[in-house]
Amino acid sequence: MKRHLTPLAVLAFLAVAVLPLTEGCKKKPPTTTEEARPPVEAPVTPETAVPPPPGRPDSDAAPDVMTEEIAEMNRKGYLQDAYFDYDAADLRDDARTALSGNAEWLKRYPSIQVLISGHCDERGTSAYNLALGDSRANAARAYLESLGVSGGRLRTVSYGKERPFCGESSEDCWQQNRRAHFVITSK
Amino acid sequence: MRRIPALIPASCAVLALALALAVSAQPAQNPQNEELWIAINKPAARKLAVAVPELATPGTAALKATVTDPFTATLRSDLEYSGAFAVSDPAHYPPGQREPTTPEIADRWRGGGSEYLVDTRATVTGDRVSVEARVWDLKSQKMMLGKRYSGAVSYVERIAHTVANDIVKHFTGKEGLFLSKIVFVSDRDGSKDIYAMDFDGRSVRRLTSVRSLALSPSGSRSGKVAYTSYGKLFPQIWLMNADGQDKREVPTGIGLNASPSLSPDATQIAFAGSVKGTTDIYVVSAGGGGVRRLTTTRAIEASPAWSPTGRQILYTSDQSGNPQIHTVDPEGSGARRVTFAGNWNDEASWSPDGARLAFACRNEGDFNICLMDFATGQTVQLTAEGSNGHPNWSPDGEKIVYSSRRGGRTHVYTMDLNGQNKRQLTESGNNLQPTWLP
Repeated sequence: MKRHLTPLAVLAFLAVAVLPLTEGCKKKPPTTTEEARPPVEAPVTPETAVPPPPGRPDSDAAPDVMTEEIAEMNRKGYLQDAYFDYDAADLRDDARTALSGNAEWLKRYPSIQVLISGHCDERGTSAYNLALGDSRANAARAYLESLGVSGGRLRTVSYGKERPFCGESSEDCWQQNRRAHFVITSK
Repeated sequence: MRRIPALIPASCAVLALALALAVSAQPAQNPQNEELWIAINKPAARKLAVAVPELATPGTAALKATVTDPFTATLRSDLEYSGAFAVSDPAHYPPGQREPTTPEIADRWRGGGSEYLVDTRATVTGDRVSVEARVWDLKSQKMMLGKRYSGAVSYVERIAHTVANDIVKHFTGKEGLFLSKIVFVSDRDGSKDIYAMDFDGRSVRRLTSVRSLALSPSGSRSGKVAYTSYGKLFPQIWLMNADGQDKREVPTGIGLNASPSLSPDATQIAFAGSVKGTTDIYVVSAGGGGVRRLTTTRAIEASPAWSPTGRQILYTSDQSGNPQIHTVDPEGSGARRVTFAGNWNDEASWSPDGARLAFACRNEGDFNICLMDFATGQTVQLTAEGSNGHPNWSPDGEKIVYSSRRGGRTHVYTMDLNGQNKRQLTESGNNLQPTWLP
């Protein structure tokens, strides 16, 4: 179950994982990396569903996904992030919807390996949020496993509040930061 | 939030409570309130009036900037910082012979308000300096302490710190802090890495170059520091010397590996670990292996901290619905809740004498630093400005180092146990998670 990341996978992971550090919430001119970011309209309340990302292919239109580079796959956002309530790691309905879509896609491409990173908003202590982020990433993984995705394809890491996607102190921003983030690391 | 001040007669509790609340409600500068609160909280011990004339450096004035001034300023600053001394005004020091070998000379010193005299003289030979320090009781005209120190001229401040340590030890019986260091996390060079600085914020040096994330340094008297590194993508616990040398990984075989705490004898590391998405407090041997689980809840656990005897471990758990401090023994039995007030208590640190804990406390709004008497549960809040966290005790148990976020920046501060004497030690970047080493 323990697998080593290929150098390419490490590069892809770094490319995406380091982004949040430098990007913040600022609107920037579109770049190739910008598209890898999560949907901007994240739900603020549990009742609101996350809108599907525009680039999500339907089953018939994506026969050549596996020919794409990993970085390109991540840019296109085939896998959606799952969002959480404050100080909680329980899956909301919108998170289950996002993860169900991820499960279908992952089952279609069984060689794909994924890193799920847990993130938290800035409130509370660093250490507690690392533990909370770990619970969020693992809640996402457990749900995917329950839907039939092999756990061996899913690795988790917690960044707590250390790598926010959004740097402002507002509820919108905090919601952006409370998530389980998906990165394809190997195909 | 229930706030029962400790360390004070019960009759003062109501007044102190009211004043503490008043301070909390008005975090903007209100020195009058704060002074009142602190005066009640802990009446300041009388400070000894000590004269510290300039280091006598016979020979050349060229040594003033490199030897005389840095030595004298460091010695005066250290003695003031100790809290045991008030350095009397140099403008009132008498000219002429310093040694109070006659009643007349002693009276001239005492006339300036001094009870004790610290007489220091230096001899410089090449790049070496030799300092003689004598402490005189002006009342009895007796020399209480006399020592000679020597070293490179470039280390003249270190010599002054050593003299100050000896003086503090002589008068208070406790080890001075003036050669102690504070290890902390900073993003001053970009990503978060671990740094060290002197107790007063000087001589910052970088200890790690993970360039990804290095967090939660934890030291012990052994001179070792445990920390979490994301250098290999997934977080691992590492151990190094306090000067950054001899780094090695401490394999745990499980995930998360957050907030390590080194046991007092440096043989074990408590940490927040994760297995299948359940976080708990674990202990691993400092050499790696021997991992054991101390808590077994479905809740989130983090931030373990050893007691000075190594017989208890404080930690944070949200099993009651919000994060509160608990304690468990290193075998994993006897777990019990320690804090009950407020809606978030976290990052506990046990005092060196075992009697109290400092922790990050929150009811509504920002986090503060609280101090609790372990036996009675009585609690005082020591901060009222900014968002404060990660308190850690000085080796002598007389001060607390912590982080405070104000105006979007987080810096490391120290304060006395009554909340007085707050000093900002860092200037550059964000600086947090301080730990104070001997």
